[in-house]
Amino acid sequence: MSAVDTTTGAASSSKPDQNEQNGQNGGREDSGGFKLKFCTVCASNQNRSMEGHLRLSLANYPVISFGTGSLVRLPGPSITQPNVYKFNETSYDSIYRELEAKDPRLYRANGLLNMLGRNRQVKWGPERWQDWQIGMPRTKHKDDKGADGMEGGVADVVITCEERCWDAVIEDLLNRGSPLNRPVHVINIDIKDNHEEASVGGRAIVDLADSLNKIAAEEREKVGASAFDSGSVGARSGFDERVPDVLAEWQERWPNLPATWTLAWF
Amino acid sequence: MSEQIQQLNAARKMALENPGFFKQIIQGILPLTAPSAPVELRRWAADFIAEALACPALRTQDKENLTLAIVDALRSLVEAPDQDPLVLKAGIMAAASAYPVIVRWIILNTYHPPAWEAMSAIKSKILSIWENAPTPVKLCCIKFVQRVILAQTASNGTEPKHSGLDVNLAMIPPNHKFLDPRLLEAEAIGLLDRMLGGLQDNSSDALIVDATLNTLSILIRTRPATSSRITNAVLNFNPLKLANSPMTPKNKVLVKSMTKTTQMLLKHLFVRDSHNPIAPRLNQQYERLQRSRLEIFDEANRKRALPEQAAAGYGDVKRQKTEGVAPQPPLRIQPLAPGPHTLAEVFSLTNNTGLQGFDVTVVPTSLTARINVRTLASLDQGQLDMAINGVRDRLIALYAAAPAAAPVPVPVLGTATAQQASVNAETVALGVEEDDDAYEPDFYAAEDTEQILNKLDNAPPEESPEQNAKPDSALALGPFRLPPPPVLNPDTAVKVSQITAMRIFGPLSGLEDPLVRKPKAGLNRLAANSHDRDSWLTLITRLATRSTIGLGDGIKSEADTTSSALGRPQMSLGNLIREMLFNYILEDWRRRIEVAVAWCCEEWYNDRLTILNKLDGPLNYERCALRLMDGFLSYITAQDKVLTRFLSEIPQLSKELLGRLKGLCSDPTTVQLAMTSLLYLVMMKPPARELALDTVYEIWVEYEDARPLAEKYLHRWRPGFAETHAAADGAPAGNGTQAMTA
Repeated sequence: MSAVDTTTGAASSSKPDQNEQNGQNGGREDSGGFKLKFCTVCASNQNRSMEGHLRLSLANYPVISFGTGSLVRLPGPSITQPNVYKFNETSYDSIYRELEAKDPRLYRANGLLNMLGRNRQVKWGPERWQDWQIGMPRTKHKDDKGADGMEGGVADVVITCEERCWDAVIEDLLNRGSPLNRPVHVINIDIKDNHEEASVGGRAIVDLADSLNKIAAEEREKVGASAFDSGSVGARSGFDERVPDVLAEWQERWPNLPATWTLAWF
Repeated sequence: MSEQIQQLNAARKMALENPGFFKQIIQGILPLTAPSAPVELRRWAADFIAEALACPALRTQDKENLTLAIVDALRSLVEAPDQDPLVLKAGIMAAASAYPVIVRWIILNTYHPPAWEAMSAIKSKILSIWENAPTPVKLCCIKFVQRVILAQTASNGTEPKHSGLDVNLAMIPPNHKFLDPRLLEAEAIGLLDRMLGGLQDNSSDALIVDATLNTLSILIRTRPATSSRITNAVLNFNPLKLANSPMTPKNKVLVKSMTKTTQMLLKHLFVRDSHNPIAPRLNQQYERLQRSRLEIFDEANRKRALPEQAAAGYGDVKRQKTEGVAPQPPLRIQPLAPGPHTLAEVFSLTNNTGLQGFDVTVVPTSLTARINVRTLASLDQGQLDMAINGVRDRLIALYAAAPAAAPVPVPVLGTATAQQASVNAETVALGVEEDDDAYEPDFYAAEDTEQILNKLDNAPPEESPEQNAKPDSALALGPFRLPPPPVLNPDTAVKVSQITAMRIFGPLSGLEDPLVRKPKAGLNRLAANSHDRDSWLTLITRLATRSTIGLGDGIKSEADTTSSALGRPQMSLGNLIREMLFNYILEDWRRRIEVAVAWCCEEWYNDRLTILNKLDGPLNYERCALRLMDGFLSYITAQDKVLTRFLSEIPQLSKELLGRLKGLCSDPTTVQLAMTSLLYLVMMKPPARELALDTVYEIWVEYEDARPLAEKYLHRWRPGFAETHAAADGAPAGNGTQAMTA
């Protein structure tokens, strides 16, 4: 256990492209060691959060994902005719088949089928953040990508992909009244809702995850209160207090994805 | 050891799949919490305990049993000296979950104090390490304290009924063996103050601030005793304090985080309880933070915008535009090849066949006009001159070549080319030749209809077709005459002049009264010394009275003019304006009495001039004054003292004018007004005194109601009245007596 592999963390100091390559090669080799648990959130749990979900799972992080909207909304033939589905009750596969039957040419051209095809490989269907029973064991999601390590049904870091979603998550956590007494870092990364930006955002999310996991692993490397006085200045402080530093460094690397962070409670 | 952890993980998975196993497993791992156990195992055990105590899958009853089972172990874990921060952190998290469970249990089970003692010990240990603990541990201390406050203050019953959030002070019976509600509440309030102190003292430690703010919502909402304290602390908290120090990337993250977190709490509170009296203040603070945040972060964005744009490869758009213009090759205009040419060819300056073929007539006229204006405005003068000269050279060449090319005279309208050529001459004469070739056909088309019509209209009939067809006349810059204007018939003229007169009144409504009332300059003032309502009215009155004097007004007889005020077509411009001025005054005559007076003065002055200069014009003063008077009288009430003012200020009074006042005396309510006006004239206007007294006398004679007042005035002002009165009075008085006695 003490032999935490730091190569996972070291990836954060390298260029983001490297992560991209890792992601596209079907995931990096699992280095073992400590893993932060992540949760990605966007409006419909389709594009941005699912891109993040997939990439984080390929990077071997435990991850779950949600949407904060009232319904799953996907573009339709016109702006006034979206395709609307219920959260938690519709599978990606059924949406895929429905849209394919409706207008295969349109939905292939606008990338929806491609996206849904990806999503159905990741998990069963879109889940709504507000309906998530935080802390309820997630033992029935074994086949989801990134499910390994998420059995406890909690996350250490929630990454939202839009300020609206961040607001919804915080509002929801305030409503719940934090019964679990468990701190959670909620970070928003503003990603535009299209396939290209989602892809870029996905890389940024993995970069952030790597950076955060590195400091979390460093915290765990220290043993006992005596370790508190040794090590570098950065390593001396705990994970939580280093999150702002990591985020600031990350923001310098990704200036086009404005980020917001807070420490909230589950 | 990793093998041991793997086994533990497997056990944990079992418990997660079936929460019934939690208790069993916890019993088994309790030894791992001892200080002697390896730190990894201690961490695992502490994490597992915290997870189990928080797990929503466990029923309250199960959780209670579990908590009772671990509370002693938890105590030793927390109290262990030099405890690993992560173990301590998980221990405090577990304690936060355990606290309400133990409180509830001890409320109902007073016979078993050890559990409460253990919990109390954990509490005092946590409170003692709170101050100096490493930040991650401190965060969990804050959360623990929040749970203590929740359990030790009275609830309003609106919280969720699970996870111990509903445990509160009101559940403790007053006669409880160890729990004294007052002491517990006092402790809770003390802890709350200490917790909120974090907002004031550590206001730049975003982690502590965020962690605190994010625990406050449920306290405010469900524990009324804490609400006002917390709300005040939140409203007084300034998350932007750090923004004054240099904005390093980290500071940016911190400021944004604290501001957004504060905003979220504010918004959450006022949205949930918008009728609370404090809600407007919360909203106000929210808006304030929103503005500050946008200011701080948008400015940063704006500064970054330009380099970003440049990096994106767009370049500097403005610079591109100005720099691109400089190196322009001099314009070279190719002479035309011999042979017939269309007008378009003559004006085509480009060699690009595509452009030459472009039909400009498809471009909308308005757009063409705009393009032309823009082009002309930005066109280099040298280029323009070159283009003009080039086209001129072509025309000269054409002119020289024409006799040879067209030896046979062509009938003027016979062929298209001939027609074009003839039109061409006129178009050129108008000086529109110098434009970008591309726009020429449209320009030509735009001028076309009008020009041709004009030309054909004005073409001298004696001009023979042969002459016209000669290249000489085709290309020469012939004289241009405007078509004669259509004959104006009297009706149209009247209509138009009416419209004109109406337009004079247009600005009145928009003009302001002068801010400072200037002393009147009388007839000598300039009409338009300032652009206010006063000046404009002066202008209008003078237009009405003087503009057309001696310009035909005199031709009409006096009677004619009077009747023309009724709107006959022969009405002169002056009378038109008078009519409108009259209407304008009557619209709001009480306030516009000044205008009426000014108008009368102008009329009077003008009449004097007419008489002095022996002009033959009609005299308008009397007529206008009478009309105004009649106008006023039809609306008058007893309170309208403006009438007195009007009568005293107009330049000349006449018997007829004052005679109108008599009508007022037939109404008892307005007698006083009429008589006062007359008295004023008698007293203040000696030249009019006799005239006024005559009127008073007439009133005395004619109107019974006004008699006492009239008599009084006459006694006072007409020395001979007393005698005449005595003689005249005899009869009516005698009659009256007779009637009474009869």
